[in-house]
Amino acid sequence: MIALAAYRDALSRIEAPPGLAALRRTHLRKFLQAGLPDRQHEDWRYTSLAHLEHMPLHAPLAPTPALLALEAYPGELRAWLDDRPVQQDVPPSAVLGALADVIGAGALPAFGSLAPDSALARLNAALWREGASLRVPAGERLARPVFLRFAAAAADAMLHPRVFVHLAEGAEAILVEHFLGDPGIAYWQNPVTEIALEAGARLTHLRLIEEGPLATHTGLTAVRQERDSRYQALNLTLGGRVTRHELGVTLAGPGAEARLDGVFIADARNSAEQHVRVVHQAPHGTSRTLYRGLADGRGRGVFDARAEVQPHADGSDARQSSRNLLLSPQAEIDVKPQLVIHADDIQCSHGATVGSLDEDALFYLRSRGIDTAGARQLLLEAFVEEALGLLDAAGLRGWLMPRLLASLPRARTVEVRP
Amino acid sequence: MSNPDLQQQIEREYRWGFVTDIEQEPFPQGLDEAVIRRISAQKGEPAFLLEWRLKAYRHWLTLREPTWATVTHPPIDYQGIQYYAAPRSGNRPKSLAEVDPQLLATYEKLGIPLQEREALAGIAVDAVFDSVSVATTFKDKLETLGILFCSFSEAVREHPELVRQYLGSVVPYSDNYFACLNAAVFSDGSFVYVPKGVRCPMELSTYFRINASNTGQFERTLVIADVGASVSYLEGCTAPRRDENQLHAAVVELIALKDARIKYSTVQNWYPGDAEGQGGIYNFVTKRGDCRGERAHISWTQVETGSAITWKYPGCILRGDGSVGEFYSVALTHHRQQADTGSKMIHIGRDTRSTIVSKGISAGHGSNAYRGLVKVLAGAEGARNHTRCDSLLMGPDCAAHTYPYIEVKNPSARVEHEASASRIGEDQLFYLRSRGLGEEDAINLIVNGFCKEVFKELPMEFAVEAQKLLAVSLEGAVG
Amino acid sequence: MLEIRNLHVSIAGKPILKGIDLSLRPGEVHAIMGPNGSGKSTLAQVLAGREGYEISAGSVRYLGRDLLPLPPEERARAGLFLAFQYPLEIPGVANAQLLRTALNGQRRARGEAEIDAFDFLEFVQDKLALLGMDESFLYRAVNEGFSGGEKKRNEILQMAVLAPRLAILDETDSGLDIDALHVVARGVNSLRSNERAILLVTHYQRLLNFIEPDRVHVLAGGRIVRSGGPGLALELEAKGYAWLADAQTVAQTVAEEASP
Repeated sequence: MIALAAYRDALSRIEAPPGLAALRRTHLRKFLQAGLPDRQHEDWRYTSLAHLEHMPLHAPLAPTPALLALEAYPGELRAWLDDRPVQQDVPPSAVLGALADVIGAGALPAFGSLAPDSALARLNAALWREGASLRVPAGERLARPVFLRFAAAAADAMLHPRVFVHLAEGAEAILVEHFLGDPGIAYWQNPVTEIALEAGARLTHLRLIEEGPLATHTGLTAVRQERDSRYQALNLTLGGRVTRHELGVTLAGPGAEARLDGVFIADARNSAEQHVRVVHQAPHGTSRTLYRGLADGRGRGVFDARAEVQPHADGSDARQSSRNLLLSPQAEIDVKPQLVIHADDIQCSHGATVGSLDEDALFYLRSRGIDTAGARQLLLEAFVEEALGLLDAAGLRGWLMPRLLASLPRARTVEVRP
Repeated sequence: MSNPDLQQQIEREYRWGFVTDIEQEPFPQGLDEAVIRRISAQKGEPAFLLEWRLKAYRHWLTLREPTWATVTHPPIDYQGIQYYAAPRSGNRPKSLAEVDPQLLATYEKLGIPLQEREALAGIAVDAVFDSVSVATTFKDKLETLGILFCSFSEAVREHPELVRQYLGSVVPYSDNYFACLNAAVFSDGSFVYVPKGVRCPMELSTYFRINASNTGQFERTLVIADVGASVSYLEGCTAPRRDENQLHAAVVELIALKDARIKYSTVQNWYPGDAEGQGGIYNFVTKRGDCRGERAHISWTQVETGSAITWKYPGCILRGDGSVGEFYSVALTHHRQQADTGSKMIHIGRDTRSTIVSKGISAGHGSNAYRGLVKVLAGAEGARNHTRCDSLLMGPDCAAHTYPYIEVKNPSARVEHEASASRIGEDQLFYLRSRGLGEEDAINLIVNGFCKEVFKELPMEFAVEAQKLLAVSLEGAVG
Repeated sequence: MLEIRNLHVSIAGKPILKGIDLSLRPGEVHAIMGPNGSGKSTLAQVLAGREGYEISAGSVRYLGRDLLPLPPEERARAGLFLAFQYPLEIPGVANAQLLRTALNGQRRARGEAEIDAFDFLEFVQDKLALLGMDESFLYRAVNEGFSGGEKKRNEILQMAVLAPRLAILDETDSGLDIDALHVVARGVNSLRSNERAILLVTHYQRLLNFIEPDRVHVLAGGRIVRSGGPGLALELEAKGYAWLADAQTVAQTVAEEASP
């Protein structure tokens, strides 16, 4: 059923780095044996990738002219178009470079060990091209945010961006990943980002999915945190026909702290899925998961989160909050907030709600002279704002907010008050 | 906890572990169509029922045992089970005087008021011993109100039209592996029909007891509340201590028509196995209620302290506009017990409401999972659900999981889910002990407080029993 | 009644109390004052039997028995009561249930008959009146959703019901407004008797305006550095705790004052 030839062809076009060739073949073979995940699989009960089997998928053959203008980014930018580097602000450095070069020059010990053995992660491991590597030495703090921009411009292309991040002891950085593409074409981005944080390292990570309305995005972020490290993430899903992000965070060292925020918007006929797995492996870890979801039109939003406390991870503190709004009669929200606990000296909780905009609040605002559309907009902004606590400290509010506000579902009827 | 006499402790843990020495009607082990025909013939069933059993059996052969629950057990040898066991007293006794005195003594030990003179308790009882209903009290009195309360077999004989109309209408034979097996081989159970506008004046109760070894128990309960009727039904279960695992795969179907109300309470105390996980009942049960008319109301309350493995998800199909479903649960797992339990609320009608309150207690190596589904379909305008799901952990080796599924397709619905997990606070314990409470009393007080929202839903006598059961089941849980 | 001799206590290897000597006789009210972190609450918790403290030296005798090996519930049944600085919330457990269970535990320990729900209600009603508490308090879950003042009053209610021989009040005045303080003090004063000793642990002198102690002890750096009559509290109020900076040396010179 799946397009064997397309995958094999894609593999045959990859040369670098030479040391990985055998491994890539193994990954591809295992992927082809398992095939694309289907809805029989518990973690895929809400997602169908069947449409991918009917697309004439192919690896992008030649560099396409840059169809997408590069907008301004308030930081250091690396941009890819159809899995190939385009414009570079600065030459490659020891900190930020092509992953293939870094691996070619000497192995990254943790590379490939953080992502799970899932079918799509294997496919990425087989077919990623240059990739990006961000390595911050011990005790250093990057002055400016690093932006990685992955854009698609070729119809029916399958893209497998790969990012590896390593923050050595006490290092600090801000990373932004931005996924987007030509709104007129169908394509598939299947990125994998691995992040290793050594003791005391701090990473703020903003991940923005702003794919075109025909695009499929199946992304994965795998994070491993050592002692007292801190990972703060904001995951935004603002566009794409079928989007899915799997975020796996392992608190491997004692006292590690993860803050995982997110906003997802599923409108039109889109489906937007968030899968969050936090594993407390060591004592005294803290995790906070806070997502806000909106479904409008015929959209479907899915929030599936699991906090797992392993034996002896005493003093673990895991909290989840998921609030969701349904804005149209054809929209759907599915929520699956799970706790899996194997220790007793812990504090875990989750809260989830699904509802609509508060009618009383709407009325209150209207009674103050604000029209329905304006009132609705105000309430939606306030609703998503609860998940945006990272923006100010990271200095990213100015860059992100116009994009986010433009994506908020509009009121369909605008009431004109005299 | 220091305990000089562990053996005595264990003996105390399961007080209902005696075996009654009663001759059993012999029946071959294993399952095939012949066995099913024989069960059906033994009970003198009409052709439609035999057909239904056979359809279920053929379908069952195509199914595989589910594996998604967070429970583990060695494979079940379905051919090693005896699917029917009846105490050998010939036909069903006509009155209590004809009931085997040994059997009566058994129920005496269980504290079940079979004798009508003990009826001051105001509870009508149907007692199911292994596969057969042995006695039903208060039958005549209930009949004057038009209420039918009898064994399932009797209902099949006396009221086949009701059985035919409702059997399998909430839990079809194809529903799941264990419900399907039950449909093929069910032996007996209880049947309740409350006619239009009648409020049942007393609690109806069934006590289930597994006695024979190597026996599965597959009872089937059907409760129908006609328009405007109401009934409260209690179910209790015990079994002797045996080293092997015994399978209990029951099905309960509740049907509430317009403005009807059914309250179904369970205190499940099947033998849980010993501290090392040897023996105990596999309790794989399907329970579902159907609010078929407007403003129908179905409420499930369960206290699950027994069984080696509990696998059950009592749910409500909220079909009628304005109908209400409730689920209140306490599940306790100690030693090596495993529970995977929760509820399903399916909102179909407008302005339907549901409440889920689940309290899980894990001690020793016990594992406790809440698994629930709240589904709001597109037409369920104004639907409301509130779910509260708390876990209490006692000891470093126990486990607690929550797997809620929330699926909402109507924007006017409001669904709220809250969950927490924590251990008994040392501060709380110290506070109570500094007021003079012993450690076990302090734990029991805290645990009972933790479960209070559920206990208050139980009929009075059961609430007291449930508290005691919890205390007994937790003995030795803190050390 | 209570004899503390050379008590040394540490937590996780860190010494908190470094040799406390204190004795209380029936009918006496003593106050222990001291700055934050001086070990006041530790002393209260150790006396009530809180686990997690290492007692490296010293002894505590209560009514002629060795107190330290007893679990908290036995201390309580022997008439020792601690009013908590931060009373705990116990969800789902009604106040009345706690009070009656505790009272009956004590009565059983004394070989007395248990009190039934009806008699209990009668018994507890005047205690409620004394503290200006409504009967509805009895049916609310223990301290759940109580205001700070309500929690403290609830502690005194428990004390009134359990009628201890030795009552230790740990910062019962903290967080109370003046009206609530009046009520609490009235409750405590009504429990003063020749049979009963009371140990007030407090940071502020304010409480002592309403409950006059027989003796005042100043605890600093894990030691009692001064002891005296009620006047000592006023002196502290005027000067603050800063002048105790050289407490270690002062301790030697005033040690003899500590024993009456």
